[in-house]
Amino acid sequence: MTGPQIARRALLGTALAAPIIRPSFAQGSDPYIIGTLFPMSGPNAEYGSLFTNGAALAIEHAAADNMLRRPMRIQAEDTQALPQQGVIGMTKLINVDKAHYVLVGFTSVSKAVAPVADRGKTVTVNGGAVGPDLAGLSPYFWNVIPLAHLETQAFIPFLMQRNLKRIALVYVDDPLGDAILGLLRTELPKAGGTLAGTFSIPRTAQQFGPVAARIRQARPDAVYIASFGAQQAQIIKGLRDNGIRTPLVGYSALSIPTVTAMPEAEGVIFTSQKFDYTGGSEITRRFAADFKAKYGSEPGAYNANYYNAVRLFALLAKELEAENATVDGENLRRTLLRVREFDLVGGKGRFDDQGNMSADIQVNEIRGGRVVPIA
Amino acid sequence: MLFLQLLLQGIQTGALYALTAAGFALIFGATRIFHFAHGTAFTIAGYVFLACWRIDQPVLGALAAIAAAVLFGLGMERFVYRPIQRHEGSFFTVFVAAFGVAVVVQNLVGMIAGRGFASVDTSLSMAEEVLPEIFLAPIFWVAISVAVVLFAALSAFLTRTHAGVALRALAQNPDLLRAYGLSSNRLSMLAFAVGSAMVAPAAILTAMTTGLNEAVGHHVMLISMAATIVGGVGSLRGAALAGLMLGVAESVALQFVDTQWAEGVSFLVLFAFIIFRPSGIFGVAQTR
Repeated sequence: MTGPQIARRALLGTALAAPIIRPSFAQGSDPYIIGTLFPMSGPNAEYGSLFTNGAALAIEHAAADNMLRRPMRIQAEDTQALPQQGVIGMTKLINVDKAHYVLVGFTSVSKAVAPVADRGKTVTVNGGAVGPDLAGLSPYFWNVIPLAHLETQAFIPFLMQRNLKRIALVYVDDPLGDAILGLLRTELPKAGGTLAGTFSIPRTAQQFGPVAARIRQARPDAVYIASFGAQQAQIIKGLRDNGIRTPLVGYSALSIPTVTAMPEAEGVIFTSQKFDYTGGSEITRRFAADFKAKYGSEPGAYNANYYNAVRLFALLAKELEAENATVDGENLRRTLLRVREFDLVGGKGRFDDQGNMSADIQVNEIRGGRVVPIA
Repeated sequence: MLFLQLLLQGIQTGALYALTAAGFALIFGATRIFHFAHGTAFTIAGYVFLACWRIDQPVLGALAAIAAAVLFGLGMERFVYRPIQRHEGSFFTVFVAAFGVAVVVQNLVGMIAGRGFASVDTSLSMAEEVLPEIFLAPIFWVAISVAVVLFAALSAFLTRTHAGVALRALAQNPDLLRAYGLSSNRLSMLAFAVGSAMVAPAAILTAMTTGLNEAVGHHVMLISMAATIVGGVGSLRGAALAGLMLGVAESVALQFVDTQWAEGVSFLVLFAFIIFRPSGIFGVAQTR
């Protein structure tokens, strides 16, 4: 037998034995696994980066503060914002990676993975999706973002005040779009407004010139965009390029950098969670300063939400470590319901029985590539 | 007036579909290689143009976009398809290899150019009201002109040059071609170069109108495949006409159906052809 063959076999044997050998020297310092189910490729990949940046900074801060006895580690699964990929990723995170806590985004993905989280009793936290039916999906499914009904509740009076009463809705054909359609259909008439037209679009649609022609026929005072990712940027460009001059409005998904940086997005109005990065708590100011230092940009609501999601885990796990209790889904939930209120970015985060965090909503306008709170 | 507006927008979209579909049809017709990464050439060309546009070099950008698409096409032919065909060359292997390259390039583009939406900010895409309720952007005329000029040039190339005639011969009888001492490998490379170059103008115009993202190639590929089937496999003018037809159908359909069904209509057209005229518009029916 020649030398290279022996070396190859030794290498192969070591590689095969690695999973068995690892626990013998890794006991006691095994990290807490924070699984992430984010779109890391495809047209919504920008969200994956935003979500991950917030979570990664929270892990750094927790390590710097020695909050926990064990480190935390992110185990990423790419969902491409698709429910099927989400379920595959969630199953792997629970059964193979033994994730202690999972972060998820997107309404359709969240709804798909919630039953898996429930069966595995694995706490799964959403910081990016706003479908109102995400509340109460499972005792182990929590939200650290105000859901769409809270955004529309705050937004509709603002629209009426601005005399934007006839609203045309362009909505993506998925649970998020359907939820916003339902909300506007019921809430607008109560406030004295009307839904001038509804325009459903597939998730893959890229041509919005013809949709703009149909919207013009409806003669709305404003166009509400209920989509996400690259598509909402395409909608804005498509509508503006094709003669829609009325205000474009929407929800927190419009806060992503590619939208705010578009010249066509000037004047777009949208709701989001309220954050005061300059005059807020010490935790908020530290987050804002360190985020800017690490990533070279101002943090957005999604960065803060996933920072909060990981910080929440660290705070709960710290309590459990002090009790010498196992850090698992049941104990995390028990501790959440016992403590209820946590110091998070943006101020005190208060959780209800279903694990939903309440937060104030603000109305923003895109001006000169920046998000400016206006109400 | 809505119908006229939708028709005009459909023609603009269809002109871009026609360019991408014709490139795919040329490659497939001449080489019988299912070049799934054709949409990737589109993505690369679009992002190369975008990068040059951002440094105020639009002309250089257009040339660089064409060069990048051609280089990618040639690279695929030389380093992916030819080695596969030297061995077994099954359709499935070719498809998986091309699909793999498409996924890798998509992720590379995302890593280099940033993930998410990107577009060329130009007044060419801003529509003005030219008639009551009719909005038209200058890019409409650019798209139509580019498509007409390129198809005229391509037709002249295929009918009036030795290389073009040889390409058509490659599609019909590669063995006879070799008997005449012509290199099928070289002609195959020519098909990839010309076919890939065809997507660059469409990618540039798309960057100006609907914008780009790293996954845009998949949509381009779907349309190209549908147009190739509807037009008749192997027929260049069929693919171009079908691309135009699909764009118009997708747009004009909104006069009659909900916006949700715009893309679905394109594929209804495809299914109708598969059922009632499987050989496509200009395809030749084959007996088995």
